[in-house]
Amino acid sequence: MSEPQQIKVVDAFDLDDELRSLLKPGEMVRDAQGRRKRLPRYFYEIPTHDAAIQIRLTPHFGINEFILVDLKEAQRLQQFPRYIPCAVRLLAFFLEQFRTVAGASIHIAVNGGYRSPAHKMSINATEHMWGTAADIYRIGPNILKTQELIAKFNDVAEELSDDVTVMKYGHDTGISVDDHVHIDLGYVTVVPREISEDRMEVPQENRPRFAFEERRRRERRAPQIAVTANNKSE
Amino acid sequence: MVAKAQVLEEEKLPVAPAKDSVAASEVSLYRNVLKIKNEHTLENLGIAFYDAQTTIQWAYNGDQYFHAASTMKLAVLLGVFRQVERGELSLEAAVHIRNRFTSIVNQQPFMLDLGRDADPDVYGHLGRTLTIRELAYWMITKSSNLATNLLVEVVGVPTIQHALDELEIDGVRILRGVEDQAAFEAGLNNEVTANGLLKMLRLIADGRAYSKVASDEMLNIMLEQQYRSGIPAGLPKAARVAHKTGNISTVHHDAGIVFVEDRKPYVLVILTQFPAESARGTAVADVSRDIYNTIAGMTYE
Repeated sequence: MSEPQQIKVVDAFDLDDELRSLLKPGEMVRDAQGRRKRLPRYFYEIPTHDAAIQIRLTPHFGINEFILVDLKEAQRLQQFPRYIPCAVRLLAFFLEQFRTVAGASIHIAVNGGYRSPAHKMSINATEHMWGTAADIYRIGPNILKTQELIAKFNDVAEELSDDVTVMKYGHDTGISVDDHVHIDLGYVTVVPREISEDRMEVPQENRPRFAFEERRRRERRAPQIAVTANNKSE
Repeated sequence: MVAKAQVLEEEKLPVAPAKDSVAASEVSLYRNVLKIKNEHTLENLGIAFYDAQTTIQWAYNGDQYFHAASTMKLAVLLGVFRQVERGELSLEAAVHIRNRFTSIVNQQPFMLDLGRDADPDVYGHLGRTLTIRELAYWMITKSSNLATNLLVEVVGVPTIQHALDELEIDGVRILRGVEDQAAFEAGLNNEVTANGLLKMLRLIADGRAYSKVASDEMLNIMLEQQYRSGIPAGLPKAARVAHKTGNISTVHHDAGIVFVEDRKPYVLVILTQFPAESARGTAVADVSRDIYNTIAGMTYE
């Protein structure tokens, strides 16, 4: 947990339209069972690739390990500054413990950390969209591709806490895994200390009005304009 | 037995043409091809070539379909560059290296036998990423099955087939990636004809596979081919070949563009199928040598 103050926290409502449409802060999504979940709103902003490497969440986990994605992620979200939900710090904390018990380095797969709602694998709500899930493909020298290895490390993870959930070995995508260990903490959101959730009390960056409010104002106005136009044409 | 078969085939030939004519070269080539087919006890042989220098095109069983084996990777390469040319894919885009694919038959997941894949350059990156460019390179130069299936997943089979259709390449049918055992058992295989692959390679050689830039990129990758027991083995060492081999248990193919000094390139496709009990042999190299000798000695009428 070294120097957390180095990471800037942002309210995703303050981000530009494109980023908000990709990150969908505060929006509801359904999981595979149809249960509604509210997406996180507060994100760490990672300005550069170098910063991603330098920022440590725990002694053995840098923030860069949680933002590795491939072309399945939206292109804008592959560019810096990058954004990751603040709950990733909790995940890193548990992974650090997992690493200690497993006695070996933990390797999170590409697309195995944070996945935005725009990521092509984000069909339903998954804990990856909250930054609270990790897919681990290698532990020490072991590539996790056998039932024995996956079951062994699942047991290790489950021993850490009742809050840790794993996926059992199997071949059903989204339900079981056969080439990695999946660890998650559930749909946890974090409101960092420095944030005030009452936006009217503490305007961010001297903005008198917030982006979502602007958008709603525009939406409210739009139908009236349309009606006026229709009236004119009639 | 071999001699008898040869005589029977020769009896079907027309009256011998003038010795120094193109027709004479073709007849000679035809005889030699039959000889090679018999010597190697091939079950099937398909050949197509086009010589840009003389503009001669020749085929033997050119429209017969063969199991594509790894020659299908040329179609995947074409599909990749279609998407790149359209701006829908970047050659520098990162792809997660994961050995998990879905069968086209039962939608069940399957993994490649990485022991059979000759390319640790790709599976050594499991869990990490390689770029589209790197995957394309390993797919062609070392025939990486893992790279192939990853690229098929990225661009999609319908896009690959669409690329073939819009370039009017008949004779190449792509249904799936590689090592989909359930599909294989259901008889769902990628298939190619010698003429189909010839058309594709001619487009690349002529710079007409989407664009000159895309064609050159593909050509440069193919020139780095590391398996050289097919067409190159029948050529002088100075010859450069941009090609793709294809081998499974009973087929051995090679399809390539041959660059020989001081002349325009020629495009050559050799597809062979041999009995299960036979070894692969050198039929492809022998045909390649024969065609090179024929072209080298060819005179205009």
